[in-house]
Amino acid sequence: MMNSMSNVEFLKELMNRNFKVIETDVIDKYQVSFVLKQADILQALVTLRNAGWIQMSYLSAIDWPDESKIEMIYIFMNWERPVHVQIRSKIDRKDPVMPSIINIYPGAKYYERECHEFFGVKFPGNPDYEKQLILEMWDDIPPLRKDFDPQAYSDRKFTKREYKEDYLVLSDQNSKKEKREVRKERAESLKGGQKV
Amino acid sequence: MKQMKLFLGPQHPGMHGNASVHLYVDGDIIKKSFLLPGMLHRGFEKGMERHSWINNISLIPRVCVVEPDINEMAFVMGVEKLLGLEVPERAHWIRMIILELARLSIHLMAYGGLGGPTGNYTLMYHAHADRNSILDIFEQITGHRVYHQYIVAGGVRKDLPKGIEKDIHAFLDSLEARYEEYRDLGIENPSIVARITDTIMLPEAVVWELGVTGIGMRSAVGKAYDIRKVMPYARYDQVEFEVPTSTYSDARSRIDIKLKELVQSIGIIRQCLAKMPEGPVRVPMGRGQSMRWTVPKGYVYSPVESSRGEFGYYIVSNGGTNPWRVGVRGASYPQGLLGVEKYLPGTRLDDAALWIDTMGVCSPEIDR
Repeated sequence: MMNSMSNVEFLKELMNRNFKVIETDVIDKYQVSFVLKQADILQALVTLRNAGWIQMSYLSAIDWPDESKIEMIYIFMNWERPVHVQIRSKIDRKDPVMPSIINIYPGAKYYERECHEFFGVKFPGNPDYEKQLILEMWDDIPPLRKDFDPQAYSDRKFTKREYKEDYLVLSDQNSKKEKREVRKERAESLKGGQKV
Repeated sequence: MKQMKLFLGPQHPGMHGNASVHLYVDGDIIKKSFLLPGMLHRGFEKGMERHSWINNISLIPRVCVVEPDINEMAFVMGVEKLLGLEVPERAHWIRMIILELARLSIHLMAYGGLGGPTGNYTLMYHAHADRNSILDIFEQITGHRVYHQYIVAGGVRKDLPKGIEKDIHAFLDSLEARYEEYRDLGIENPSIVARITDTIMLPEAVVWELGVTGIGMRSAVGKAYDIRKVMPYARYDQVEFEVPTSTYSDARSRIDIKLKELVQSIGIIRQCLAKMPEGPVRVPMGRGQSMRWTVPKGYVYSPVESSRGEFGYYIVSNGGTNPWRVGVRGASYPQGLLGVEKYLPGTRLDDAALWIDTMGVCSPEIDR
């Protein structure tokens, strides 16, 4: 295994030589992130895979409603040159479409399905991306988007639990007042273990 | 012959947690299979966005039910990376003790779980009895048995109680003494050996295709691809341990590696107890009221080596009091979903539970 800082330098050099990197961030000696344009993503992944980053660790998205963007995030790992590479790219939020990467990394198949379910990103090229995976019969906007409010959804979807009697407030208007008095009297009468 | 549809789980002795494998079988050969997750989806990733950084400590251990401590460690390491926080030296060693005890506990549970699909329940009772001793130790250290909420950003919640070293040593000695017995009960037991040898193969090409990590990968590739070794966190670079590997990955070799890792974990805990310095165990993560602590902007992925492979948290902060996005990379996601769909067909019906068991599929981390 080579010196890990040189691995990060190697990656920086590799990406800058081939693509127009918008932003580079070295998080520590085992992790580096690159922000690319959407059009470069597939080519960048092919380059990374050929350079030895053959394990896909993670695929997901981040919602940025203020910029009206969804940010795709891919993480890859190479065990011989141990660096996690983050590749990020912002795509349009109104109609998010990202070409599927299952021909480069077959393991992405279910990650893309999940990403479609939770962020509404479309993955043309993945035959199953529209199939239901985790959320059964979901009928709202994708739930991990920032404008989805779980509280409002829950209020709309499920009936509010109604309590027939308020046992905590002992007001005089309570219709159970008489019963309560009777119970109290009986309890008093049983004091000392003797019935009056 | 007509194909028949069967369900493995959610209630089945060989199934771990609340997921179901749908199987289409012809005789006892599986023709088509897929995992149906979603029965345990609790919306953690959304929930974490709605809670403050310190609140989330009580939420994250629930992501993987049987192995809570790695969740805490992965999340907390990510937060510390964003903050640039230096953790006191003693806290690193305490964290390693906790993590390795947790590894012992989950390996025992998984090894005992082998009793379900192979029909040897004695193994399960023995393993769970020993796991219970670990939970007793956890209870003394953290106050909780399963969800400890002990590792927090900046260190650990409190120092080890006095005299706990003695209890830990006593437990490690007893486990080491029973190690041969465990082997005899499980993977040296002829009735189980016949069941697990040469079944549920995992060739190296499949490892890279699916993205399997952890024991599954090491058993097929034969190299020490362990995050504790290749990109050490805490103080794993200062303890000596080996990473057991093999180049022939059947159910037996994976279980064998699991047992060998038990011995390594015992060694790591002993070294930690010997090398641990005195000193403070926690620095505060921020100043002022803890619910208003903020974390600087940034994107970070923080991986740890769980008992099932690379387990990571992807954390995005926009500088606020809550995380902007937390993504969980479940270690068993690839083999649990794509692995079941692609590589279970062609095997026998009774091997399906062995795949779930020996590949360490944990449904809570798929449905997070």
